[in-house]
Amino acid sequence: MHIEIKREGGPAYFPGLARPREVDLTSLPPEQAEALRQCVQAARFFELPPVVGALPPGAPDARRFTLTVEEGGRRHTVQFIEPVEEPRLHELLEQVTKAERAQRRGARPGTPG
Amino acid sequence: MFHPTRHRHSIHCILPPYLARSIAQNGTSEQRERVLRTLSTDSTFRALRLAGSRTTPSTLVTRPRAMMVESALHRTIFDLKNSEAFPGTPVRFEGQEATDDIAVTEAYDGLGDTYNFFWEIFGRNSIDGDGMPLQAFVHYGNNYDNAFWDGRRMVFGDGDGDLFNRFTICLDVIAHELAHGVTEDEGPLWYFRQAGALNESMSDVFGSLVRQMKLNQKADAADWLIGKGLFTDNVEGVALRSMKNPGTAFDDDVLGKDPQPGHMKDYVRTWEDNGGVHINSGIPNRAFYLVASHLGGYAWERAGRIWYDAIRDSLIKPDMGFLDFARITVMSATRLFGPGEEEDAVREAWEQVGIRVARSGVRMPAFVGAVTQPSTQAGRAPRA
Ligand SMILES: [Zn+2]
Repeated sequence: MHIEIKREGGPAYFPGLARPREVDLTSLPPEQAEALRQCVQAARFFELPPVVGALPPGAPDARRFTLTVEEGGRRHTVQFIEPVEEPRLHELLEQVTKAERAQRRGARPGTPG
Repeated sequence: MFHPTRHRHSIHCILPPYLARSIAQNGTSEQRERVLRTLSTDSTFRALRLAGSRTTPSTLVTRPRAMMVESALHRTIFDLKNSEAFPGTPVRFEGQEATDDIAVTEAYDGLGDTYNFFWEIFGRNSIDGDGMPLQAFVHYGNNYDNAFWDGRRMVFGDGDGDLFNRFTICLDVIAHELAHGVTEDEGPLWYFRQAGALNESMSDVFGSLVRQMKLNQKADAADWLIGKGLFTDNVEGVALRSMKNPGTAFDDDVLGKDPQPGHMKDYVRTWEDNGGVHINSGIPNRAFYLVASHLGGYAWERAGRIWYDAIRDSLIKPDMGFLDFARITVMSATRLFGPGEEEDAVREAWEQVGIRVARSGVRMPAFVGAVTQPSTQAGRAPRA
């Protein structure tokens, strides 16, 4: 499984976060990688529409996440606009951002993963 | 057609609210009566503006007077305890002692400082100008990297601790978000392309001014940074944005480089970020900085007043671009201070960021000398 996350919105525009960032499942502890796979399944990711949630009017600085998952020849991209209230989708986003953060921490010299 | 009767909302500048309030408390009964009348007139004029632009003073409808006079700071801070389920637990009401939760304290103080700024400087009673109670929700979600105004309340995340600290840490970020509420109430300005960048810039302008007032800084002493202290030590950067030098606030492996232009020649055309609202806001931000630093002194006294007057102008359109807004700021400068230094400073500042407001492009309202703040007009020689 291959996962990419792209973040927009929030307090500023960060080119580094707006660019797709890969979450490398092989670099994660096995149980975290497995949890992430299960989240993708539970969310029925490949059946989701291209956009989930609608930008509420009058909500500047709202955040948007674009998730792309590739698995077994399938590839699907979904844009999530906060707030994402559906529990399984919410959990999926939490797990992906957590994994991406752990990966980033691990890559930083002198910082414990 | 522009004519002086359409200029209704600057009348409150006759007396700065802090002075008015002190008179209301300590003055003679005659002084008090006059002040009360002034304060209620401002709100009446505001109601008039909402009613439409063709209204004339003869159709004034006076709103109840009592509600216009007192400031009405009503804060409630709620703890969401790392969930996203509102309303959470109320942990501090207006007037209560501080708790030992720093996020609660910072949110409470930040709302207060922002409220006080708008009240003291512009006589604006809360976000909606009508005493709206302020609610803030702290500890939203897990490692949540944002703070936002959702149209009726403030929400603060704790940050992930890796890139961002808690979002209550910066007064200018709190004020930035609340100012989105003000712009929404006054404009509105669509959150897209140039209108969106103006919306963002208004929030940075007022965010910065709230912090400058809190620190009692004049324009040349201020750092003009937005979100200083929000990044953790892992990030190569000082702040989210620099109004003085857009594009220089951060340059980091993970976040990338601050993409803000400070001049129209570097304007970024993009579909990202709602058409670059957090990117191209660098241009009007810098224009404001240039006006404030040219005029000197406290930035809220003249530059801030001009910008606030502009956002309340009935010519503001939801989809307006930089040039239209620049024109309105030039008109506001003339309206508030007469032709001269302020108007020139505003025109020059826009020109320095690549936006030219032609003299013929501005319909000059007749200068209403009575509407300016007495302190800035005192002793000034009349100008041609
Ligand atoms: Zn904003």
